[in-house]
Amino acid sequence: MKRRGLIGALAAAIALAAVPRRARASTPRLRPPGALPPGAFEQTCIGCVRCAEVCPTGCISFSSPLSMEQALPFIEPAAKACVLCMKCTQVCPTDALVPLTVDRDVIAREVKMGQPVLERSRCLSWNGDGVCRLCFHVCPYPEQAITLTGPRASPVFHAEACVGCGLCEEACPTLAHAIRIEAPRGP
Amino acid sequence: MARRPLQPLDFTLRHGKAWQRSRLAFLTFSVVLTVGLPLWHLRALDGHSRWSGLASLFPTAAPPFVGAPTSILVWVVELVDPAEALAVAMFRGPSWVLVWTVLPGVALVMLLGRFFCGWACPYLPLLAISNAARWLLRRMGFEPMDRRLPRVTSRVVLVGVLGVGAMLGVQVVPLVYPPAIIGREAFRLVFTGSFGVGALMVLGAFLFDTFVSRAGFCRSFCPGGAMFSVVGTFSPLHVHNERSTCTDCTACHVVCSLGQSPMTNRLDSGCERCGKCVAVCPTKALSWKVTR
Repeated sequence: MKRRGLIGALAAAIALAAVPRRARASTPRLRPPGALPPGAFEQTCIGCVRCAEVCPTGCISFSSPLSMEQALPFIEPAAKACVLCMKCTQVCPTDALVPLTVDRDVIAREVKMGQPVLERSRCLSWNGDGVCRLCFHVCPYPEQAITLTGPRASPVFHAEACVGCGLCEEACPTLAHAIRIEAPRGP
Repeated sequence: MARRPLQPLDFTLRHGKAWQRSRLAFLTFSVVLTVGLPLWHLRALDGHSRWSGLASLFPTAAPPFVGAPTSILVWVVELVDPAEALAVAMFRGPSWVLVWTVLPGVALVMLLGRFFCGWACPYLPLLAISNAARWLLRRMGFEPMDRRLPRVTSRVVLVGVLGVGAMLGVQVVPLVYPPAIIGREAFRLVFTGSFGVGALMVLGAFLFDTFVSRAGFCRSFCPGGAMFSVVGTFSPLHVHNERSTCTDCTACHVVCSLGQSPMTNRLDSGCERCGKCVAVCPTKALSWKVTR
Protein backbone atom coordinates (compact mmCIF):
# COMPACT_ATOMS: atom_id res chain seq x y z
CA MET A 1 0.00 0.00 0.00
CA LYS A 2 2.67 2.43 1.08
CA ARG A 3 4.84 1.61 -1.92
CA ARG A 4 2.04 2.40 -4.35
CA GLY A 5 1.62 5.93 -2.91
CA LEU A 6 5.34 6.51 -3.14
CA ILE A 7 5.52 5.29 -6.73
CA GLY A 8 2.56 7.52 -7.62
CA ALA A 9 4.19 10.58 -6.05
CA LEU A 10 7.45 9.81 -7.85
CA ALA A 11 5.66 9.43 -11.18
CA ALA A 12 3.88 12.76 -10.61
CA ALA A 13 7.18 14.47 -9.78
CA ILE A 14 8.83 13.10 -12.93
CA ALA A 15 5.86 14.11 -15.08
CA LEU A 16 5.94 17.63 -13.66
CA ALA A 17 9.72 17.86 -14.05
CA ALA A 18 9.22 17.38 -17.79
CA VAL A 19 7.13 20.56 -18.01
CA PRO A 20 9.61 23.33 -17.07
CA ARG A 21 11.84 23.14 -20.11
CA ARG A 22 8.91 24.12 -22.27
CA ALA A 23 7.78 26.79 -19.83
CA ARG A 24 11.26 28.29 -19.75
CA ALA A 25 11.66 28.16 -23.51
CA SER A 26 8.50 30.21 -24.10
CA THR A 27 8.95 33.91 -24.72
CA PRO A 28 8.90 35.97 -21.52
CA ARG A 29 5.78 38.02 -20.91
CA LEU A 30 5.16 41.52 -19.68
CA ARG A 31 4.17 41.48 -16.00
CA PRO A 32 2.01 44.10 -14.27
CA PRO A 33 3.87 47.22 -13.00
CA GLY A 34 5.94 46.87 -9.86
CA ALA A 35 6.50 43.15 -10.49
CA LEU A 36 9.55 41.50 -8.95
CA PRO A 37 12.22 40.55 -11.51
CA PRO A 38 11.59 37.39 -13.57
CA GLY A 39 12.36 34.34 -11.50
CA ALA A 40 11.45 35.97 -8.20
CA PHE A 41 8.03 36.91 -9.56
CA GLU A 42 7.13 33.31 -10.50
CA GLN A 43 8.20 32.22 -7.02
CA THR A 44 6.04 34.77 -5.25
CA CYS A 45 2.81 35.15 -7.24
CA ILE A 46 0.02 32.85 -6.03
CA GLY A 47 -2.34 33.57 -8.93
CA CYS A 48 -5.11 35.04 -6.80
CA VAL A 49 -6.29 37.26 -9.71
CA ARG A 50 -6.74 40.31 -7.46
CA CYS A 51 -4.57 42.47 -9.74
CA ALA A 52 -6.74 41.62 -12.72
CA GLU A 53 -9.93 42.16 -10.74
CA VAL A 54 -9.10 45.76 -9.88
CA CYS A 55 -7.46 46.73 -13.20
CA PRO A 56 -9.62 49.48 -14.73
CA THR A 57 -8.44 48.79 -18.28
CA GLY A 58 -8.69 45.01 -18.01
CA CYS A 59 -5.20 44.71 -19.48
CA ILE A 60 -4.10 41.99 -17.03
CA SER A 61 -4.96 38.48 -18.17
CA PHE A 62 -4.05 34.87 -17.47
CA SER A 63 -3.13 32.33 -20.11
CA SER A 64 -5.72 29.61 -20.57
CA PRO A 65 -3.77 26.72 -22.16
CA LEU A 66 -1.99 24.15 -20.02
CA SER A 67 1.30 25.59 -18.79
CA MET A 68 3.11 26.65 -15.66
CA GLU A 69 2.11 30.19 -16.67
CA GLN A 70 -1.53 29.46 -16.04
CA ALA A 71 -1.76 31.31 -12.74
CA LEU A 72 0.61 34.17 -13.62
CA PRO A 73 -0.77 37.54 -14.75
CA PHE A 74 0.58 39.11 -17.91
CA ILE A 75 -0.07 42.13 -20.11
CA GLU A 76 -0.28 42.09 -23.89
CA PRO A 77 0.05 45.80 -24.75
CA ALA A 78 -0.84 45.33 -28.42
CA ALA A 79 -4.31 44.36 -27.23
CA LYS A 80 -4.57 46.51 -24.11
CA ALA A 81 -1.90 48.54 -22.36
CA CYS A 82 -1.31 49.58 -18.77
CA VAL A 83 -2.27 53.12 -17.71
CA LEU A 84 0.00 53.03 -14.64
CA CYS A 85 -2.78 53.45 -12.06
CA MET A 86 -0.84 51.15 -9.68
CA LYS A 87 -4.06 49.67 -8.27
CA CYS A 88 -2.79 46.13 -8.90
CA THR A 89 0.31 46.76 -6.82
CA GLN A 90 -1.78 47.88 -3.86
CA VAL A 91 -3.89 44.70 -3.63
CA CYS A 92 -1.17 42.07 -4.14
CA PRO A 93 -1.18 39.81 -1.04
CA THR A 94 2.37 38.48 -1.36
CA ASP A 95 4.09 41.62 -2.68
CA ALA A 96 4.92 39.90 -5.97
CA LEU A 97 3.88 43.36 -7.16
CA VAL A 98 5.60 45.82 -4.87
CA PRO A 99 3.07 48.41 -3.66
CA LEU A 100 3.61 51.80 -5.33
CA THR A 101 1.85 55.14 -5.19
CA VAL A 102 0.49 56.86 -8.28
CA ASP A 103 3.28 59.37 -8.54
CA ARG A 104 5.02 60.13 -11.83
CA ASP A 105 8.48 60.23 -10.28
CA VAL A 106 7.97 57.10 -8.19
CA ILE A 107 6.69 55.23 -11.24
CA ALA A 108 9.57 56.50 -13.39
CA ARG A 109 12.02 55.25 -10.76
CA GLU A 110 10.44 51.93 -9.78
CA VAL A 111 8.53 50.60 -12.79
CA LYS A 112 10.35 48.78 -15.57
CA MET A 113 7.92 46.47 -17.31
CA GLY A 114 9.98 46.06 -20.46
CA GLN A 115 12.18 47.61 -23.14
CA PRO A 116 10.83 49.54 -26.13
CA VAL A 117 12.01 48.15 -29.47
CA LEU A 118 11.15 50.08 -32.62
CA GLU A 119 11.11 48.44 -36.04
CA ARG A 120 11.87 51.55 -38.13
CA SER A 121 10.97 49.90 -41.44
CA ARG A 122 7.42 49.49 -40.19
CA CYS A 123 7.07 52.89 -38.51
CA LEU A 124 5.04 55.29 -40.69
CA SER A 125 7.13 58.33 -39.78
CA TRP A 126 10.42 56.51 -40.44
CA ASN A 127 9.48 54.74 -43.68
CA GLY A 128 7.93 57.88 -45.16
CA ASP A 129 4.30 56.79 -45.22
CA GLY A 130 3.07 59.54 -42.92
CA VAL A 131 3.61 61.79 -39.92
CA CYS A 132 1.88 59.67 -37.32
CA ARG A 133 3.33 60.61 -33.90
CA LEU A 134 0.61 58.66 -32.06
CA CYS A 135 3.15 56.98 -29.78
CA PHE A 136 4.51 60.34 -28.73
CA HIS A 137 1.06 61.62 -27.86
CA VAL A 138 0.03 58.66 -25.70
CA CYS A 139 3.38 58.34 -23.92
CA PRO A 140 3.13 59.24 -20.21
CA TYR A 141 6.75 60.44 -20.36
CA PRO A 142 6.92 62.43 -23.64
CA GLU A 143 10.22 64.19 -24.41
CA GLN A 144 11.87 61.75 -21.96
CA ALA A 145 10.97 58.26 -23.16
CA ILE A 146 10.13 59.38 -26.69
CA THR A 147 11.56 62.31 -28.62
CA LEU A 148 10.72 63.33 -32.17
CA THR A 149 13.32 63.97 -34.79
CA GLY A 150 13.64 64.88 -38.45
CA PRO A 151 11.21 66.40 -40.98
CA ARG A 152 8.50 63.81 -40.41
CA ALA A 153 8.76 63.92 -36.61
CA SER A 154 10.04 60.35 -36.39
CA PRO A 155 10.00 58.86 -32.87
CA VAL A 156 13.19 57.92 -31.06
CA PHE A 157 12.75 55.73 -27.98
CA HIS A 158 14.93 56.12 -24.90
CA ALA A 159 14.88 52.87 -22.98
CA GLU A 160 16.38 54.39 -19.83
CA ALA A 161 13.38 56.73 -19.37
CA CYS A 162 10.73 54.26 -20.56
CA VAL A 163 8.66 52.41 -17.93
CA GLY A 164 7.32 49.90 -20.46
CA CYS A 165 3.62 50.59 -20.00
CA GLY A 166 2.98 49.73 -23.66
CA LEU A 167 0.58 52.57 -24.41
CA CYS A 168 2.63 53.32 -27.55
CA GLU A 169 2.39 49.70 -28.69
CA GLU A 170 -1.37 49.76 -28.16
CA ALA A 171 -1.69 53.07 -30.04
CA CYS A 172 0.59 52.17 -32.96
CA PRO A 173 -1.76 52.05 -35.97
CA THR A 174 0.34 49.78 -38.17
CA LEU A 175 -1.00 46.25 -38.33
CA ALA A 176 2.32 44.78 -37.25
CA HIS A 177 2.81 47.29 -34.38
CA ALA A 178 6.12 48.93 -35.30
CA ILE A 179 6.87 49.59 -31.62
CA ARG A 180 6.92 46.65 -29.21
CA ILE A 181 7.70 46.38 -25.54
CA GLU A 182 9.99 43.44 -24.92
CA ALA A 183 9.65 41.72 -21.56
CA PRO A 184 12.83 41.32 -19.50
CA ARG A 185 14.54 37.96 -19.89
CA GLY A 186 14.65 35.50 -16.99
CA PRO A 187 17.77 34.86 -14.94
CA MET B 1 -24.92 -7.79 -6.39
CA ALA B 2 -24.14 -6.87 -2.84
CA ARG B 3 -25.92 -3.64 -2.00
CA ARG B 4 -25.07 -1.63 1.00
CA PRO B 5 -28.07 -1.12 3.25
CA LEU B 6 -27.70 2.64 3.40
CA GLN B 7 -26.92 5.19 0.71
CA PRO B 8 -25.81 8.81 1.23
CA LEU B 9 -29.03 10.27 -0.10
CA ASP B 10 -31.18 8.05 2.13
CA PHE B 11 -30.42 10.31 5.03
CA THR B 12 -32.14 13.34 6.32
CA LEU B 13 -30.06 15.57 8.52
CA ARG B 14 -32.17 15.26 11.65
CA HIS B 15 -30.01 16.55 14.45
CA GLY B 16 -27.57 19.36 14.96
CA LYS B 17 -29.71 21.62 12.82
CA ALA B 18 -28.05 24.81 14.00
CA TRP B 19 -24.65 23.37 13.03
CA GLN B 20 -25.85 22.34 9.57
CA ARG B 21 -27.64 25.64 8.98
CA SER B 22 -24.55 27.64 9.97
CA ARG B 23 -22.41 25.42 7.75
CA LEU B 24 -24.67 25.75 4.75
CA ALA B 25 -25.00 29.51 5.27
CA PHE B 26 -21.21 29.85 5.46
CA LEU B 27 -20.77 27.63 2.40
CA THR B 28 -23.39 29.53 0.43
CA PHE B 29 -21.68 32.78 1.33
CA SER B 30 -18.34 31.38 0.18
CA VAL B 31 -19.71 30.09 -3.14
CA VAL B 32 -21.66 33.29 -3.81
CA LEU B 33 -18.53 35.28 -3.03
CA THR B 34 -16.42 33.16 -5.40
CA VAL B 35 -18.72 33.82 -8.33
CA GLY B 36 -20.18 37.14 -7.21
CA LEU B 37 -16.94 39.00 -6.52
CA PRO B 38 -15.73 38.97 -10.14
CA LEU B 39 -19.23 40.03 -11.21
CA TRP B 40 -19.23 42.88 -8.70
CA HIS B 41 -15.76 43.97 -9.81
CA LEU B 42 -16.88 43.88 -13.44
CA ARG B 43 -19.84 46.06 -12.48
CA ALA B 44 -17.68 48.50 -10.47
CA LEU B 45 -15.37 48.90 -13.48
CA ASP B 46 -18.33 49.22 -15.83
CA GLY B 47 -16.82 46.42 -17.88
CA HIS B 48 -18.46 44.43 -20.60
CA SER B 49 -18.56 40.71 -21.13
CA ARG B 50 -21.14 38.01 -21.74
CA TRP B 51 -22.07 38.35 -18.05
CA SER B 52 -22.58 42.11 -17.91
CA GLY B 53 -26.32 41.57 -17.47
CA LEU B 54 -25.81 39.45 -14.37
CA ALA B 55 -23.18 41.92 -13.13
CA SER B 56 -25.68 44.77 -13.32
CA LEU B 57 -27.45 43.24 -10.30
CA PHE B 58 -24.54 44.45 -8.20
CA PRO B 59 -24.04 48.01 -6.92
CA THR B 60 -21.72 50.29 -8.85
CA ALA B 61 -19.58 51.05 -5.80
CA ALA B 62 -16.35 49.08 -5.52
CA PRO B 63 -16.84 45.89 -3.48
CA PRO B 64 -15.31 45.72 0.01
CA PHE B 65 -13.66 42.38 -0.83
CA VAL B 66 -10.98 41.63 -3.39
CA GLY B 67 -9.65 38.24 -4.35
CA ALA B 68 -10.29 34.54 -4.75
CA PRO B 69 -11.19 31.87 -2.15
CA THR B 70 -7.56 31.14 -1.27
CA SER B 71 -6.51 34.76 -0.86
CA ILE B 72 -9.04 37.39 -0.03
CA LEU B 73 -8.87 40.97 1.15
CA VAL B 74 -11.77 41.77 3.48
CA TRP B 75 -11.77 45.52 3.91
CA VAL B 76 -8.31 45.79 5.45
CA VAL B 77 -7.85 42.22 6.67
CA GLU B 78 -5.75 39.96 4.45
CA LEU B 79 -6.51 36.24 4.45
CA VAL B 80 -4.19 33.90 2.56
CA ASP B 81 -4.34 30.12 2.42
CA PRO B 82 -1.62 28.55 4.62
CA ALA B 83 -0.48 26.12 1.90
CA GLU B 84 0.08 28.96 -0.59
CA ALA B 85 1.71 31.18 2.03
CA LEU B 86 4.05 28.33 3.02
CA ALA B 87 5.03 27.85 -0.63
CA VAL B 88 5.81 31.58 -0.93
CA ALA B 89 7.74 31.58 2.35
CA MET B 90 9.85 28.67 1.06
CA PHE B 91 11.20 30.92 -1.68
CA ARG B 92 11.09 34.38 -0.20
CA GLY B 93 11.66 33.60 3.44
CA PRO B 94 9.05 34.30 6.10
CA SER B 95 7.99 37.94 6.10
CA TRP B 96 5.66 39.86 8.37
CA VAL B 97 3.27 40.40 5.48
CA LEU B 98 2.89 36.63 5.10
CA VAL B 99 2.61 36.01 8.84
CA TRP B 100 -0.20 38.52 9.23
CA THR B 101 -2.09 37.21 6.24
CA VAL B 102 -2.12 33.58 7.38
CA LEU B 103 -2.56 34.24 11.10
CA PRO B 104 -6.40 34.44 11.26
CA GLY B 105 -6.86 31.30 9.15
CA VAL B 106 -4.18 29.32 10.95
CA ALA B 107 -5.61 30.25 14.37
CA LEU B 108 -9.09 29.12 13.27
CA VAL B 109 -7.77 25.84 11.84
CA MET B 110 -5.75 25.12 14.99
CA LEU B 111 -8.99 25.49 16.96
CA LEU B 112 -11.51 23.95 14.57
CA GLY B 113 -9.37 21.53 12.55
CA ARG B 114 -9.80 21.12 8.83
CA PHE B 115 -13.13 22.98 8.89
CA PHE B 116 -12.48 25.11 5.80
CA CYS B 117 -12.86 21.94 3.70
CA GLY B 118 -16.35 21.28 5.02
CA TRP B 119 -17.50 24.85 5.51
CA ALA B 120 -16.02 27.03 2.79
CA CYS B 121 -14.45 25.12 -0.12
CA PRO B 122 -16.17 26.14 -3.37
CA TYR B 123 -15.52 22.61 -4.65
CA LEU B 124 -18.12 21.26 -2.16
CA PRO B 125 -21.16 21.78 -4.42
CA LEU B 126 -19.36 19.74 -7.09
CA LEU B 127 -18.53 17.10 -4.50
CA ALA B 128 -22.21 16.95 -3.55
CA ILE B 129 -23.09 16.42 -7.23
CA SER B 130 -20.38 13.75 -7.44
CA ASN B 131 -21.83 11.93 -4.41
CA ALA B 132 -25.32 12.15 -5.91
CA ALA B 133 -23.97 10.79 -9.19
CA ARG B 134 -22.38 7.87 -7.33
CA TRP B 135 -25.71 7.19 -5.65
CA LEU B 136 -27.49 7.30 -9.01
CA LEU B 137 -24.93 4.98 -10.59
CA ARG B 138 -25.50 2.52 -7.78
CA ARG B 139 -29.26 2.76 -8.23
CA MET B 140 -28.81 1.95 -11.89
CA GLY B 141 -26.76 -1.10 -11.05
CA PHE B 142 -23.20 0.16 -11.60
CA GLU B 143 -21.14 -0.04 -8.48
CA PRO B 144 -18.71 2.93 -8.72
CA MET B 145 -15.17 2.16 -7.62
CA ASP B 146 -14.08 3.44 -4.23
CA ARG B 147 -10.31 3.24 -4.06
CA ARG B 148 -8.94 4.16 -0.66
CA LEU B 149 -5.40 5.40 -0.93
CA PRO B 150 -3.27 5.18 2.22
CA ARG B 151 -3.63 8.08 4.65
CA VAL B 152 -0.10 9.25 4.10
CA THR B 153 -0.83 10.03 0.40
CA SER B 154 -2.12 13.54 1.05
CA ARG B 155 1.01 14.45 3.02
CA VAL B 156 3.22 12.94 0.33
CA VAL B 157 1.36 14.98 -2.28
CA LEU B 158 1.71 18.19 -0.23
CA VAL B 159 5.45 17.67 0.18
CA GLY B 160 5.69 16.64 -3.48
CA VAL B 161 3.86 19.76 -4.69
CA LEU B 162 6.06 22.02 -2.56
CA GLY B 163 9.16 20.11 -3.70
CA VAL B 164 8.29 20.28 -7.38
CA GLY B 165 7.57 24.01 -6.98
CA ALA B 166 10.96 24.50 -5.34
CA MET B 167 12.63 22.58 -8.17
CA LEU B 168 10.94 24.59 -10.89
CA GLY B 169 10.97 27.95 -9.12
CA VAL B 170 7.23 28.34 -9.69
CA GLN B 171 4.22 28.35 -7.42
CA VAL B 172 2.61 24.97 -8.08
CA VAL B 173 -0.05 24.98 -5.34
CA PRO B 174 -2.32 27.45 -7.24
CA LEU B 175 -2.19 25.15 -10.27
CA VAL B 176 -3.51 22.05 -8.49
CA TYR B 177 -5.57 23.41 -5.59
CA PRO B 178 -9.30 23.32 -6.51
CA PRO B 179 -10.46 26.46 -4.59
CA ALA B 180 -7.64 28.47 -6.20
CA ILE B 181 -8.47 27.09 -9.64
CA ILE B 182 -12.21 27.66 -9.18
CA GLY B 183 -11.61 31.26 -8.10
CA ARG B 184 -9.42 31.91 -11.11
CA GLU B 185 -11.78 30.24 -13.54
CA ALA B 186 -14.75 32.15 -12.09
CA PHE B 187 -12.82 35.36 -12.75
CA ARG B 188 -11.92 34.22 -16.27
CA LEU B 189 -15.49 33.23 -17.06
CA VAL B 190 -16.92 36.53 -15.81
CA PHE B 191 -14.31 38.82 -17.38
CA THR B 192 -13.59 37.02 -20.67
CA GLY B 193 -16.61 34.79 -21.10
CA SER B 194 -14.70 31.51 -21.35
CA PHE B 195 -12.97 28.92 -19.18
CA GLY B 196 -9.30 28.04 -19.27
CA VAL B 197 -7.61 24.71 -18.76
CA GLY B 198 -8.21 25.00 -15.00
CA ALA B 199 -11.83 24.02 -15.61
CA LEU B 200 -10.57 20.76 -17.09
CA MET B 201 -8.48 20.12 -13.98
CA VAL B 202 -11.52 20.62 -11.75
CA LEU B 203 -13.47 18.33 -14.09
CA GLY B 204 -10.72 15.76 -13.68
CA ALA B 205 -11.01 15.94 -9.89
CA PHE B 206 -14.79 15.58 -10.23
CA LEU B 207 -14.50 12.50 -12.47
CA PHE B 208 -11.94 10.97 -10.12
CA ASP B 209 -14.26 11.53 -7.16
CA THR B 210 -17.23 10.13 -9.05
CA PHE B 211 -15.76 7.05 -10.70
CA VAL B 212 -12.60 6.12 -8.85
CA SER B 213 -12.71 7.21 -5.23
CA ARG B 214 -15.39 8.98 -3.25
CA ALA B 215 -14.07 12.44 -2.36
CA GLY B 216 -10.71 10.89 -3.24
CA PHE B 217 -9.23 14.18 -4.44
CA CYS B 218 -10.13 15.91 -1.15
CA ARG B 219 -8.81 13.00 0.90
CA SER B 220 -5.64 12.11 -0.93
CA PHE B 221 -4.57 14.79 -3.40
CA CYS B 222 -5.64 18.22 -2.24
CA PRO B 223 -2.52 20.07 -1.02
CA GLY B 224 -4.61 22.68 0.84
CA GLY B 225 -6.63 20.02 2.63
CA ALA B 226 -3.43 18.25 3.62
CA MET B 227 -2.04 21.52 4.97
CA PHE B 228 -5.21 22.15 6.99
CA SER B 229 -4.97 18.60 8.39
CA VAL B 230 -1.41 19.18 9.49
CA VAL B 231 -2.13 22.59 11.04
CA GLY B 232 -5.32 21.29 12.70
CA THR B 233 -3.77 18.11 14.11
CA PHE B 234 -4.17 19.28 17.69
CA SER B 235 -7.60 20.85 17.32
CA PRO B 236 -9.64 20.22 20.48
CA LEU B 237 -12.98 19.93 18.63
CA HIS B 238 -14.04 16.34 17.94
CA VAL B 239 -17.07 14.22 17.20
CA HIS B 240 -17.56 11.90 20.15
CA ASN B 241 -19.53 8.65 20.08
CA GLU B 242 -21.37 7.73 23.28
CA ARG B 243 -21.01 3.97 22.88
CA SER B 244 -23.86 3.17 25.28
CA THR B 245 -26.48 4.76 22.96
CA CYS B 246 -24.87 3.70 19.66
CA THR B 247 -26.67 0.93 17.76
CA ASP B 248 -23.82 0.34 15.30
CA CYS B 249 -26.08 1.25 12.36
CA THR B 250 -23.09 2.65 10.35
CA ALA B 251 -25.13 5.63 9.12
CA CYS B 252 -22.29 7.95 10.17
CA HIS B 253 -19.76 5.88 8.23
CA VAL B 254 -21.82 5.98 5.08
CA VAL B 255 -22.58 9.69 5.24
CA CYS B 256 -18.93 10.70 5.77
CA SER B 257 -17.21 11.68 2.53
CA LEU B 258 -13.76 11.66 4.02
CA GLY B 259 -13.66 8.06 5.23
CA GLN B 260 -13.69 8.89 8.91
CA SER B 261 -14.95 6.41 11.46
CA PRO B 262 -17.13 8.21 14.02
CA MET B 263 -18.91 4.99 15.04
CA THR B 264 -15.74 3.50 16.43
CA ASN B 265 -14.44 6.86 17.69
CA ARG B 266 -11.56 6.64 15.23
CA LEU B 267 -11.29 10.08 13.71
CA ASP B 268 -8.11 11.72 12.57
CA SER B 269 -7.10 15.19 11.44
CA GLY B 270 -8.78 14.49 8.09
CA CYS B 271 -12.19 15.24 9.68
CA GLU B 272 -13.60 18.38 8.08
CA ARG B 273 -16.01 19.12 10.98
CA CYS B 274 -19.03 19.13 8.66
CA GLY B 275 -21.09 17.41 11.38
CA LYS B 276 -23.14 15.34 8.95
CA CYS B 277 -22.48 12.24 11.08
CA VAL B 278 -23.89 14.04 14.12
CA ALA B 279 -26.88 15.10 12.04
CA VAL B 280 -27.76 11.63 10.72
CA CYS B 281 -27.22 9.65 13.92
CA PRO B 282 -30.67 8.18 14.70
CA THR B 283 -30.00 7.70 18.42
CA LYS B 284 -28.08 10.94 19.07
CA ALA B 285 -25.08 8.92 20.13
CA LEU B 286 -22.76 11.33 18.33
CA SER B 287 -22.09 14.82 19.64
CA TRP B 288 -19.45 17.53 19.53
CA LYS B 289 -16.91 17.41 22.32
CA VAL B 290 -14.16 19.80 23.19
CA THR B 291 -11.32 17.70 24.52
CA ARG B 292 -7.65 18.19 25.12
